[in-house]
Amino acid sequence: MSNDFYTTSILPHSGIIIKICRAYTDTQEDFEDYYQEVCLQIWKSKDRFREESKWSTWVYRLTLNCCLTLIKKKKNNRQNVASDFEPIEIGEENKVFENESLNLLYAAIRQLSEIDRAIILLYLEEKTNEIIADIIGTSKNNISVRIIRIKERLKKLLDGKIN
Amino acid sequence: MEKSIESIWKEGFLKKDELVAPKVNDLYNQKSIDIVSKFKRMYKINVIGIVIFSLIILPVSYIVKIPYMGILMFLLFNTIIIVNRKIIYALNKIDNSLNSYEYLISFKNWTDKLIDTNTKFSRFLYPYMFLTMFFGFWCGEIGGDVPGDIVVKGFVSEFPNTPLVFGFPLIFLGIMLLAMLFLALVGARIGKWDFNVGYGRIMRRLKTMIKDMEELKQ
Repeated sequence: MSNDFYTTSILPHSGIIIKICRAYTDTQEDFEDYYQEVCLQIWKSKDRFREESKWSTWVYRLTLNCCLTLIKKKKNNRQNVASDFEPIEIGEENKVFENESLNLLYAAIRQLSEIDRAIILLYLEEKTNEIIADIIGTSKNNISVRIIRIKERLKKLLDGKIN
Repeated sequence: MEKSIESIWKEGFLKKDELVAPKVNDLYNQKSIDIVSKFKRMYKINVIGIVIFSLIILPVSYIVKIPYMGILMFLLFNTIIIVNRKIIYALNKIDNSLNSYEYLISFKNWTDKLIDTNTKFSRFLYPYMFLTMFFGFWCGEIGGDVPGDIVVKGFVSEFPNTPLVFGFPLIFLGIMLLAMLFLALVGARIGKWDFNVGYGRIMRRLKTMIKDMEELKQ
Protein backbone atom coordinates (compact mmCIF):
# COMPACT_ATOMS: atom_id res chain seq x y z
CA MET A 1 0.00 0.00 0.00
CA SER A 2 1.53 3.27 -1.02
CA ASN A 3 1.86 6.03 1.53
CA ASP A 4 0.07 8.38 -0.85
CA PHE A 5 -2.99 6.19 -1.04
CA TYR A 6 -3.05 5.76 2.73
CA THR A 7 -2.68 9.47 3.37
CA THR A 8 -5.16 10.70 0.79
CA SER A 9 -7.80 7.99 0.69
CA ILE A 10 -7.75 6.17 4.01
CA LEU A 11 -6.47 8.55 6.66
CA PRO A 12 -9.29 11.12 6.17
CA HIS A 13 -11.70 8.29 7.04
CA SER A 14 -9.58 6.70 9.73
CA GLY A 15 -11.92 8.10 12.41
CA ILE A 16 -14.85 5.99 11.35
CA ILE A 17 -12.62 2.98 10.71
CA ILE A 18 -11.26 3.29 14.26
CA LYS A 19 -14.73 3.71 15.73
CA ILE A 20 -16.04 0.64 13.91
CA CYS A 21 -13.00 -1.52 14.67
CA ARG A 22 -13.20 -0.60 18.36
CA ALA A 23 -16.79 -1.81 18.47
CA TYR A 24 -15.81 -5.23 17.19
CA THR A 25 -12.71 -5.82 19.30
CA ASP A 26 -12.01 -6.21 22.99
CA THR A 27 -8.28 -5.65 23.12
CA GLN A 28 -5.81 -3.14 21.70
CA GLU A 29 -4.00 -5.95 19.89
CA ASP A 30 -7.16 -7.11 18.12
CA PHE A 31 -8.08 -3.53 17.35
CA GLU A 32 -4.74 -2.92 15.62
CA ASP A 33 -5.08 -6.16 13.65
CA TYR A 34 -8.58 -5.23 12.52
CA TYR A 35 -7.55 -1.70 11.61
CA GLN A 36 -4.64 -2.94 9.51
CA GLU A 37 -6.71 -5.61 7.84
CA VAL A 38 -9.40 -3.03 6.96
CA CYS A 39 -6.78 -0.67 5.48
CA LEU A 40 -5.31 -3.51 3.49
CA GLN A 41 -8.73 -4.59 2.21
CA ILE A 42 -9.55 -1.01 1.18
CA TRP A 43 -6.28 -0.79 -0.70
CA LYS A 44 -6.75 -4.18 -2.34
CA SER A 45 -10.36 -3.48 -3.32
CA LYS A 46 -9.89 0.13 -4.44
CA ASP A 47 -10.18 -0.82 -8.12
CA ARG A 48 -13.66 -2.17 -7.47
CA PHE A 49 -14.92 1.23 -6.32
CA ARG A 50 -17.44 2.21 -9.03
CA GLU A 51 -18.36 5.69 -7.83
CA GLU A 52 -21.99 4.58 -7.47
CA SER A 53 -21.74 5.82 -3.91
CA LYS A 54 -19.46 8.24 -2.12
CA TRP A 55 -15.95 7.03 -1.31
CA SER A 56 -16.74 7.46 2.41
CA THR A 57 -19.88 5.29 2.15
CA TRP A 58 -17.88 2.66 0.34
CA VAL A 59 -15.23 2.79 3.08
CA TYR A 60 -17.91 2.32 5.79
CA ARG A 61 -19.35 -0.64 3.94
CA LEU A 62 -16.00 -2.27 3.41
CA THR A 63 -14.93 -1.65 7.02
CA LEU A 64 -18.12 -3.20 8.37
CA ASN A 65 -17.90 -6.20 6.06
CA CYS A 66 -14.28 -6.70 6.96
CA CYS A 67 -14.98 -6.51 10.71
CA LEU A 68 -17.93 -8.87 10.38
CA THR A 69 -15.76 -11.39 8.55
CA LEU A 70 -12.92 -11.07 11.05
CA ILE A 71 -15.18 -11.44 14.05
CA LYS A 72 -16.73 -14.58 12.57
CA LYS A 73 -13.31 -16.05 11.94
CA LYS A 74 -11.98 -15.05 15.32
CA LYS A 75 -14.47 -16.46 17.72
CA ASN A 76 -16.61 -18.61 15.47
CA ASN A 77 -19.46 -16.67 16.94
CA ARG A 78 -18.90 -17.21 20.61
CA GLN A 79 -21.97 -16.16 22.52
CA ASN A 80 -21.58 -12.43 22.12
CA VAL A 81 -25.15 -11.29 22.42
CA ALA A 82 -25.48 -10.81 26.11
CA SER A 83 -28.72 -10.38 27.94
CA ASP A 84 -29.86 -6.95 29.06
CA PHE A 85 -29.35 -8.01 32.65
CA GLU A 86 -25.74 -8.96 32.19
CA PRO A 87 -23.60 -6.22 33.74
CA ILE A 88 -21.24 -4.30 31.49
CA GLU A 89 -17.71 -5.18 32.38
CA ILE A 90 -14.78 -3.02 31.42
CA GLY A 91 -11.38 -4.59 31.89
CA GLU A 92 -8.21 -2.52 31.93
CA GLU A 93 -7.58 -3.50 28.30
CA ASN A 94 -10.96 -2.02 27.30
CA LYS A 95 -10.27 1.38 28.83
CA VAL A 96 -9.00 2.70 25.57
CA PHE A 97 -10.58 6.14 25.72
CA GLU A 98 -9.89 8.83 28.28
CA ASN A 99 -13.58 9.53 28.47
CA GLU A 100 -15.09 7.05 30.93
CA SER A 101 -18.62 7.42 29.52
CA LEU A 102 -17.34 6.57 26.07
CA ASN A 103 -15.68 3.42 27.42
CA LEU A 104 -18.99 2.42 28.98
CA LEU A 105 -20.91 3.18 25.80
CA TYR A 106 -18.48 1.05 23.79
CA ALA A 107 -18.78 -1.78 26.32
CA ALA A 108 -22.54 -1.62 25.89
CA ILE A 109 -22.27 -1.51 22.08
CA ARG A 110 -20.04 -4.61 22.18
CA GLN A 111 -22.89 -6.47 23.84
CA LEU A 112 -25.12 -5.94 20.81
CA SER A 113 -25.29 -8.33 17.89
CA GLU A 114 -22.82 -7.67 15.07
CA ILE A 115 -25.43 -6.08 12.80
CA ASP A 116 -26.91 -3.94 15.56
CA ARG A 117 -23.41 -2.66 16.31
CA ALA A 118 -23.01 -1.65 12.67
CA ILE A 119 -26.36 0.14 12.63
CA ILE A 120 -25.83 2.09 15.84
CA LEU A 121 -22.32 3.13 14.84
CA LEU A 122 -23.58 4.56 11.57
CA TYR A 123 -26.48 6.21 13.38
CA LEU A 124 -24.12 7.81 15.89
CA GLU A 125 -22.02 9.02 12.98
CA GLU A 126 -25.15 10.86 11.86
CA LYS A 127 -25.65 8.86 8.72
CA THR A 128 -29.21 9.08 7.40
CA ASN A 129 -31.43 6.02 7.64
CA GLU A 130 -31.30 5.84 3.87
CA ILE A 131 -27.50 5.57 3.83
CA ILE A 132 -27.50 3.08 6.72
CA ALA A 133 -30.09 0.97 4.88
CA ASP A 134 -27.95 1.12 1.76
CA ILE A 135 -24.80 0.09 3.64
CA ILE A 136 -26.49 -2.70 5.60
CA GLY A 137 -28.64 -3.85 2.71
CA THR A 138 -32.12 -3.47 4.16
CA SER A 139 -35.03 -1.03 4.00
CA LYS A 140 -35.14 2.44 5.51
CA ASN A 141 -38.16 1.50 7.64
CA ASN A 142 -36.41 -1.52 9.07
CA ILE A 143 -33.52 0.68 10.07
CA SER A 144 -35.78 3.21 11.82
CA VAL A 145 -37.46 0.50 13.88
CA ARG A 146 -34.16 -1.21 14.65
CA ILE A 147 -32.51 2.02 15.80
CA ILE A 148 -35.32 2.64 18.32
CA ARG A 149 -34.87 -0.89 19.71
CA ILE A 150 -31.10 -0.62 19.88
CA LYS A 151 -31.28 2.69 21.69
CA GLU A 152 -33.69 1.22 24.21
CA ARG A 153 -31.35 -1.70 24.75
CA LEU A 154 -28.34 0.55 25.18
CA LYS A 155 -30.30 2.69 27.61
CA LYS A 156 -31.07 -0.39 29.71
CA LEU A 157 -27.46 -1.53 29.61
CA LEU A 158 -26.20 1.89 30.68
CA ASP A 159 -28.95 2.54 33.17
CA GLY A 160 -27.55 4.28 36.24
CA LYS A 161 -23.96 4.04 35.06
CA ILE A 162 -23.60 7.39 33.33
CA ASN A 163 -24.57 10.71 34.80
CA MET B 1 -30.11 13.73 34.28
CA GLU B 2 -28.56 10.94 32.23
CA LYS B 3 -26.75 11.83 29.05
CA SER B 4 -28.07 10.52 25.76
CA ILE B 5 -25.92 8.07 23.81
CA GLU B 6 -25.64 10.69 21.07
CA SER B 7 -24.11 13.23 23.42
CA ILE B 8 -21.73 10.66 24.97
CA TRP B 9 -20.59 9.83 21.46
CA LYS B 10 -20.09 13.44 20.40
CA GLU B 11 -18.39 14.55 23.59
CA GLY B 12 -16.25 11.42 23.73
CA PHE B 13 -14.76 12.06 20.34
CA LEU B 14 -14.21 15.79 20.80
CA LYS B 15 -10.62 15.05 21.74
CA LYS B 16 -8.56 14.20 18.67
CA ASP B 17 -6.38 11.84 20.75
CA GLU B 18 -9.20 9.33 20.93
CA LEU B 19 -8.87 8.63 17.24
CA VAL B 20 -5.19 8.03 16.69
CA ALA B 21 -4.75 5.50 13.90
CA PRO B 22 -2.38 2.64 14.60
CA LYS B 23 0.60 2.10 12.35
CA VAL B 24 -0.09 -0.02 9.32
CA ASN B 25 2.99 -2.18 9.02
CA ASP B 26 2.63 -5.53 10.66
CA LEU B 27 -0.12 -7.27 8.75
CA TYR B 28 2.00 -8.76 6.04
CA ASN B 29 4.46 -10.00 8.66
CA GLN B 30 1.73 -12.00 10.31
CA LYS B 31 0.33 -13.22 7.01
CA SER B 32 3.71 -14.29 5.69
CA ILE B 33 4.49 -16.26 8.86
CA ASP B 34 1.01 -17.83 8.68
CA ILE B 35 1.40 -19.00 5.09
CA VAL B 36 4.83 -20.52 5.72
CA SER B 37 3.74 -22.35 8.88
CA LYS B 38 0.70 -23.68 7.04
CA PHE B 39 2.93 -25.02 4.29
CA LYS B 40 5.36 -26.53 6.84
CA ARG B 41 2.48 -28.23 8.63
CA MET B 42 1.07 -29.69 5.41
CA TYR B 43 4.48 -30.81 4.25
CA LYS B 44 5.30 -32.52 7.56
CA ILE B 45 1.94 -34.31 7.57
CA ASN B 46 2.70 -35.47 4.04
CA VAL B 47 6.11 -36.88 5.06
CA ILE B 48 4.63 -38.57 8.16
CA GLY B 49 2.03 -40.14 5.83
CA ILE B 50 4.83 -41.57 3.68
CA VAL B 51 6.63 -42.94 6.79
CA ILE B 52 3.44 -44.66 7.97
CA PHE B 53 2.72 -46.03 4.49
CA SER B 54 6.27 -47.38 4.11
CA LEU B 55 5.96 -49.18 7.47
CA ILE B 56 2.59 -50.67 6.52
CA ILE B 57 3.49 -51.80 3.02
CA LEU B 58 6.33 -54.08 4.17
CA PRO B 59 4.32 -56.52 6.35
CA VAL B 60 1.27 -56.26 4.10
CA SER B 61 3.30 -57.24 1.03
CA TYR B 62 4.55 -60.34 2.90
CA ILE B 63 1.02 -61.27 3.92
CA VAL B 64 -0.36 -60.94 0.37
CA LYS B 65 2.76 -62.71 -0.94
CA ILE B 66 4.24 -59.97 -3.07
CA PRO B 67 7.31 -59.36 -0.87
CA TYR B 68 9.57 -58.03 -3.65
CA MET B 69 7.19 -55.21 -4.30
CA GLY B 70 7.00 -54.52 -0.58
CA ILE B 71 10.77 -54.36 -0.15
CA LEU B 72 11.33 -52.20 -3.23
CA MET B 73 8.50 -49.85 -2.25
CA PHE B 74 9.87 -49.66 1.28
CA LEU B 75 13.27 -48.68 -0.10
CA LEU B 76 11.68 -46.12 -2.41
CA PHE B 77 9.61 -44.49 0.33
CA ASN B 78 12.58 -44.35 2.65
CA THR B 79 14.64 -42.65 -0.04
CA ILE B 80 11.81 -40.10 -0.37
CA ILE B 81 11.81 -39.62 3.41
CA ILE B 82 15.60 -39.03 3.51
CA VAL B 83 15.41 -36.54 0.64
CA ASN B 84 12.51 -34.76 2.32
CA ARG B 85 14.30 -34.56 5.66
CA LYS B 86 17.08 -32.65 3.94
CA ILE B 87 14.53 -30.40 2.25
CA ILE B 88 12.74 -29.67 5.56
CA TYR B 89 16.08 -28.90 7.18
CA ALA B 90 16.67 -26.21 4.54
CA LEU B 91 13.16 -24.83 5.15
CA ASN B 92 13.78 -24.55 8.88
CA LYS B 93 16.93 -22.59 8.15
CA ILE B 94 14.98 -19.71 6.60
CA ASP B 95 15.50 -16.75 8.88
CA ASN B 96 12.13 -15.51 10.09
CA SER B 97 13.65 -12.32 11.41
CA LEU B 98 13.91 -11.09 7.82
CA ASN B 99 11.39 -8.53 6.69
CA SER B 100 8.16 -10.02 5.29
CA TYR B 101 9.09 -9.53 1.67
CA GLU B 102 12.53 -11.11 2.02
CA TYR B 103 11.07 -13.89 4.14
CA LEU B 104 8.48 -14.73 1.49
CA ILE B 105 11.06 -14.51 -1.28
CA SER B 106 13.34 -16.92 0.65
CA PHE B 107 10.40 -19.22 1.10
CA LYS B 108 9.52 -18.92 -2.61
CA ASN B 109 13.14 -19.79 -3.52
CA TRP B 110 12.92 -22.78 -1.25
CA THR B 111 9.68 -23.97 -2.89
CA ASP B 112 11.25 -23.46 -6.33
CA LYS B 113 14.11 -25.74 -5.28
CA LEU B 114 11.62 -28.21 -3.87
CA ILE B 115 9.66 -28.25 -7.14
CA ASP B 116 12.90 -28.65 -9.08
CA THR B 117 14.05 -31.59 -6.90
CA ASN B 118 10.58 -33.08 -7.06
CA THR B 119 10.52 -32.80 -10.87
CA LYS B 120 13.94 -34.44 -11.25
CA PHE B 121 13.05 -37.13 -8.76
CA SER B 122 9.72 -37.85 -10.50
CA ARG B 123 11.55 -38.82 -13.71
CA PHE B 124 12.94 -41.83 -11.81
CA LEU B 125 10.14 -42.28 -9.31
CA TYR B 126 7.32 -43.27 -11.65
CA PRO B 127 9.33 -45.71 -13.83
CA TYR B 128 10.70 -47.23 -10.61
CA MET B 129 7.20 -47.57 -9.16
CA PHE B 130 6.00 -49.19 -12.35
CA LEU B 131 8.92 -51.63 -12.33
CA THR B 132 8.42 -52.39 -8.65
CA MET B 133 4.74 -53.10 -9.05
CA PHE B 134 5.28 -55.12 -12.20
CA PHE B 135 7.97 -57.34 -10.65
CA GLY B 136 6.10 -57.50 -7.40
CA PHE B 137 3.16 -59.17 -9.08
CA TRP B 138 5.30 -61.03 -11.62
CA CYS B 139 7.37 -62.74 -8.93
CA GLY B 140 4.57 -62.96 -6.36
CA GLU B 141 2.43 -65.94 -5.57
CA ILE B 142 -1.16 -66.82 -6.46
CA GLY B 143 -2.41 -70.11 -5.08
CA GLY B 144 1.13 -71.53 -4.89
CA ASP B 145 1.99 -70.52 -8.48
CA VAL B 146 4.20 -67.68 -9.62
CA PRO B 147 2.13 -65.42 -11.95
CA GLY B 148 5.19 -64.59 -14.11
CA ASP B 149 5.89 -68.29 -14.79
CA ILE B 150 2.26 -68.89 -15.77
CA VAL B 151 2.30 -65.97 -18.21
CA VAL B 152 5.69 -66.99 -19.75
CA LYS B 153 4.61 -70.62 -20.13
CA GLY B 154 1.35 -69.60 -21.79
CA PHE B 155 3.12 -67.13 -24.08
CA VAL B 156 5.90 -69.54 -25.08
CA SER B 157 3.43 -72.33 -25.84
CA GLU B 158 1.51 -69.89 -28.10
CA PHE B 159 4.64 -68.42 -29.73
CA PRO B 160 7.36 -71.10 -29.43
CA ASN B 161 9.91 -69.08 -31.45
CA THR B 162 9.80 -66.04 -29.19
CA PRO B 163 13.31 -65.05 -28.02
CA LEU B 164 13.81 -65.08 -24.23
CA VAL B 165 16.20 -62.94 -22.18
CA PHE B 166 16.87 -64.51 -18.75
CA GLY B 167 13.65 -66.47 -19.22
CA PHE B 168 11.70 -63.32 -20.04
CA PRO B 169 10.04 -62.85 -23.47
CA LEU B 170 11.93 -60.15 -25.41
CA ILE B 171 8.71 -58.51 -26.55
CA PHE B 172 7.62 -58.08 -22.91
CA LEU B 173 10.96 -56.52 -22.16
CA GLY B 174 10.48 -54.13 -25.08
CA ILE B 175 6.99 -53.15 -23.92
CA MET B 176 8.25 -52.64 -20.38
CA LEU B 177 11.12 -50.46 -21.51
CA LEU B 178 8.77 -48.38 -23.63
CA ALA B 179 6.39 -47.96 -20.69
CA MET B 180 9.27 -46.92 -18.43
CA LEU B 181 10.57 -44.51 -21.04
CA PHE B 182 7.12 -43.00 -21.35
CA LEU B 183 6.84 -42.64 -17.55
CA ALA B 184 10.30 -41.08 -17.39
CA LEU B 185 9.21 -38.53 -20.01
CA VAL B 186 5.90 -37.64 -18.35
CA GLY B 187 7.21 -38.19 -14.79
CA ALA B 188 8.15 -34.55 -14.39
CA ARG B 189 4.66 -33.47 -15.41
CA ILE B 190 3.03 -36.01 -13.10
CA GLY B 191 5.28 -34.74 -10.29
CA LYS B 192 4.25 -31.14 -10.91
CA TRP B 193 0.59 -32.11 -11.11
CA ASP B 194 0.92 -34.08 -7.87
CA PHE B 195 2.56 -31.10 -6.16
CA ASN B 196 -0.17 -28.77 -7.42
CA VAL B 197 -2.93 -31.03 -6.11
CA GLY B 198 -1.45 -30.81 -2.62
CA TYR B 199 0.04 -27.35 -2.49
CA GLY B 200 -1.36 -25.48 -5.51
CA ARG B 201 -3.71 -23.32 -3.46
CA ILE B 202 -1.07 -22.24 -0.97
CA MET B 203 1.42 -21.55 -3.79
CA ARG B 204 -1.11 -19.31 -5.56
CA ARG B 205 -1.65 -17.42 -2.29
CA LEU B 206 2.08 -17.03 -1.91
CA LYS B 207 2.42 -15.62 -5.44
CA THR B 208 -0.45 -13.17 -4.84
CA MET B 209 1.12 -12.00 -1.58
CA ILE B 210 4.51 -11.45 -3.19
CA LYS B 211 2.83 -9.57 -6.06
CA ASP B 212 0.94 -7.38 -3.58
CA MET B 213 4.09 -6.66 -1.66
CA GLU B 214 6.01 -5.78 -4.78
CA GLU B 215 3.23 -3.38 -5.70
CA LEU B 216 3.39 -2.06 -2.16
CA LYS B 217 7.11 -1.45 -2.41
CA GLN B 218 6.73 0.67 -5.54
